[in-house]
Amino acid sequence: MNLGKLLERVFQLIPVMLGVSAIVFLMMLVTPGDPVDIMLGEQQATTEQRDALRKDMGLDLPAAQRFVHFLKNAAVGNFGYSYFHRRPVSEVILERLPATVELTVAALLIALLVAIPLGVLAAVKKNTWMDRLATLGSLLGISMPGFWFGLLLMLVFGVWMQWLPISGRSDIASQVPIVTHFLTLDALLALNFEVFVSAVSHLVLPALTLGLPMAAVLTRVTRTSMLEVLRQDYVTFAHAKGLTTRRVLFVHALRNALIPTVTMAALEVGSLLGGSMIVETIFGWPGLGRVVVESIFTRNYPLIQAAILLYALTYVMVNFFADLLYTVLNPRVRL
Amino acid sequence: MKTSNYLGWLGMSFLAISAVSVQAADIRVGFGLDALTLDPGNHRSRETETIVRNMYDGLLTRDAKMKVVPELVSSWKQIDPTNYEFKLKQGVKFHSGDEMTAEDVKFTFDRIIKKDMIDGKSSPRAGLLGPLKDVTAVDKYTVRFTLASPWAILPSMLPFQELVSKSFVQKVGDKAMATQVNGTGPFKLVDWRRGDSITMERFAGYYGGSAEIPPVGQAKADRVIFKIIPENASRIAALLAGDVDIATELPVHMMKQIESSKNAVVMKVRGTRSFFVSLNNTKPPFNNPLVRQAANHALDKKLLIARIMQNTATPINGVLSPDAFGFDASLKTYDYNPALAKQLLAQAGFPNGIDVTLDVEGSFAETAQAIGSLLTKAGIRTKVVVGEGTVLRTKWLQDKNKTGDMWFTSWGNGSLDPEDIFAPTLKTNDRGNSAGYSSGVVDGMLSAASTETNAAKRADLFVKAQKQVNADAPWIFLWVPEDVYGVSKRLKGWQPSADSRVNLHRAYIQ
Repeated sequence: MNLGKLLERVFQLIPVMLGVSAIVFLMMLVTPGDPVDIMLGEQQATTEQRDALRKDMGLDLPAAQRFVHFLKNAAVGNFGYSYFHRRPVSEVILERLPATVELTVAALLIALLVAIPLGVLAAVKKNTWMDRLATLGSLLGISMPGFWFGLLLMLVFGVWMQWLPISGRSDIASQVPIVTHFLTLDALLALNFEVFVSAVSHLVLPALTLGLPMAAVLTRVTRTSMLEVLRQDYVTFAHAKGLTTRRVLFVHALRNALIPTVTMAALEVGSLLGGSMIVETIFGWPGLGRVVVESIFTRNYPLIQAAILLYALTYVMVNFFADLLYTVLNPRVRL
Repeated sequence: MKTSNYLGWLGMSFLAISAVSVQAADIRVGFGLDALTLDPGNHRSRETETIVRNMYDGLLTRDAKMKVVPELVSSWKQIDPTNYEFKLKQGVKFHSGDEMTAEDVKFTFDRIIKKDMIDGKSSPRAGLLGPLKDVTAVDKYTVRFTLASPWAILPSMLPFQELVSKSFVQKVGDKAMATQVNGTGPFKLVDWRRGDSITMERFAGYYGGSAEIPPVGQAKADRVIFKIIPENASRIAALLAGDVDIATELPVHMMKQIESSKNAVVMKVRGTRSFFVSLNNTKPPFNNPLVRQAANHALDKKLLIARIMQNTATPINGVLSPDAFGFDASLKTYDYNPALAKQLLAQAGFPNGIDVTLDVEGSFAETAQAIGSLLTKAGIRTKVVVGEGTVLRTKWLQDKNKTGDMWFTSWGNGSLDPEDIFAPTLKTNDRGNSAGYSSGVVDGMLSAASTETNAAKRADLFVKAQKQVNADAPWIFLWVPEDVYGVSKRLKGWQPSADSRVNLHRAYIQ
């Protein structure tokens, strides 16, 4: 891919971001509910106090003006002030984002590490008990609601067996200084093995809850795609040339078979981001998803807007990288 | 390494780590929401206050029976209707080691009541101090509070405010107050991982706390950790697994699970929130008092409390909790009598019954369905409509023209004084008057009570107002639920309190 193409893709981001901002803004505009009312709750506040708060939050301006104001500020990285948290929005988001990224990456790794070998195995051992087991497993994974699966894991591994902690990122996180905000990395940087194991053990259940349903989808995609590739002439030719089965499978077949898997994985990142809201709530994981859910209920407009913009950007970028990955998997693919 | 060995090793490491991370002298609280800030003057959130209260003390506090008692003051008196004088305890230290003086008290309250005092913005807590106009330091240990107009509930509202150190705030700035703590409370801040946990440790220089709430002295626990676990089921799982010692806001349907466990018990305390079905008094059919009375007779509250609330609520016949100031225990009870309800409806001109809707938030849908079916049996054919809280509040409290028929709702009364529940919900056009109820008699009595400084006369005014409201039946009067907690059997020295605070000064692990 040349630089021109790359720049073109980056410029394509602009209308996408504008569109997302406009849709989110419009949706918030038509959703009933008054943030001032929610903030003050049942407590006593004079009309002046209400009006002052409304003005401070910029809600006294006409909608169009508010939108332009938001775009102007967002363009220079200023996402406004979260009155609910009484801090700038960017501060709240940056503080919570690493936990969500840590969880999402762990879930993605679990999904890929489970799905690719299982999908290949199911395809190679087509119609054997192994294939049926993999298919059954992935069917279960797709059908189970995430929150139920999470609670089930919690009950078995947290309450009955008491092997894994139930909530939070770590009980002893305070023992390591915050450097990257990724607790597992921070623990490694501080060479604190105890905190690292604690962080990983806290990560296991939420990451499995988020990752396994995705693994189920990817297993099926990998199996189907692998079956198709295995029927191609060049695979038969490779076998005929006398190459080992392992070499045929992993060097020749899998590379091509992975293209749909990569596409699917990139698309599924959207579900991971969405699913993280539920998983974070169940496991008390201090990530961005939970703040977004809270913000929706409290009509914390600036935070919702910024977070969704960030989600959209992440989604577009991940899919862009997936496109790049095609060229690596199959050099004949040109973007 | 063989796979089975590897898994075994991994399991052993996790077990080892879990064992290391649990220290007997730590108290862990599974809590639903995180603090928004650690600055006691810059929030309007009950959860934030519960957490912060373990590090910051106030001038006054409440004992287990919700009586207002001195905390940082040795005594207080009302000089005249608009002036109060407080004598501070001497030798009380902030966590920094500085002594607390009248200047700190003045600074704390100025920061809340004066405009733009917190980083250029006004404190959201100003409304909690009503007409408080001025706080002056008379001498090093004496402060005077001056009100713009008489306001009898000042002492009931002071437990909501915590004291900050003037020199500390001036040194670190308002922004830093959100994450740094220098209070006079029993615990010092160790670490706050937002959204995850807040860890505190015992403050060795603590003055001991309120003399009225024994035992007085330093905190018994070495450390206190508030773990933020928003999901109910997860909080309960954490309690059963021994990860936390207190799980707050236990849903009643989970009580049995806790009761049958070996390591935890259920603890309950009557809360301060009154539940009711607001009836739209401004339009037919509920503008007719007979229909409103019929609705009250249509409900079998005992059955509802037993079946849905698992007997964790007290029925009420008015707006106030039995624990509130001026509560009238002699109010008329609307007995369950569907035949009488039908008769009243016929008398009101609805011999064939009426068709109405009942608005409710999703979390209370089940209760509303039960209420709806009982009303329907008595001729008030009810359709339950589930909506989002924010939307319903706008519909019932903001919109000028009330369009709904009934709304299952509630109002909190943290001060347990009628002033912040009776007036807002039942005075004509007040901020919480969802029913659109308007009675000149009640308005007059509530206005008189808010400036009356003689407690007996004030209570009498509220009693009379309650009788009037009870007769007018602007709502279907429901109940005051209990707050339910799951508590580890190894936790001692703690009991839940009606204001839903989790003060851990005297708690310890056995």
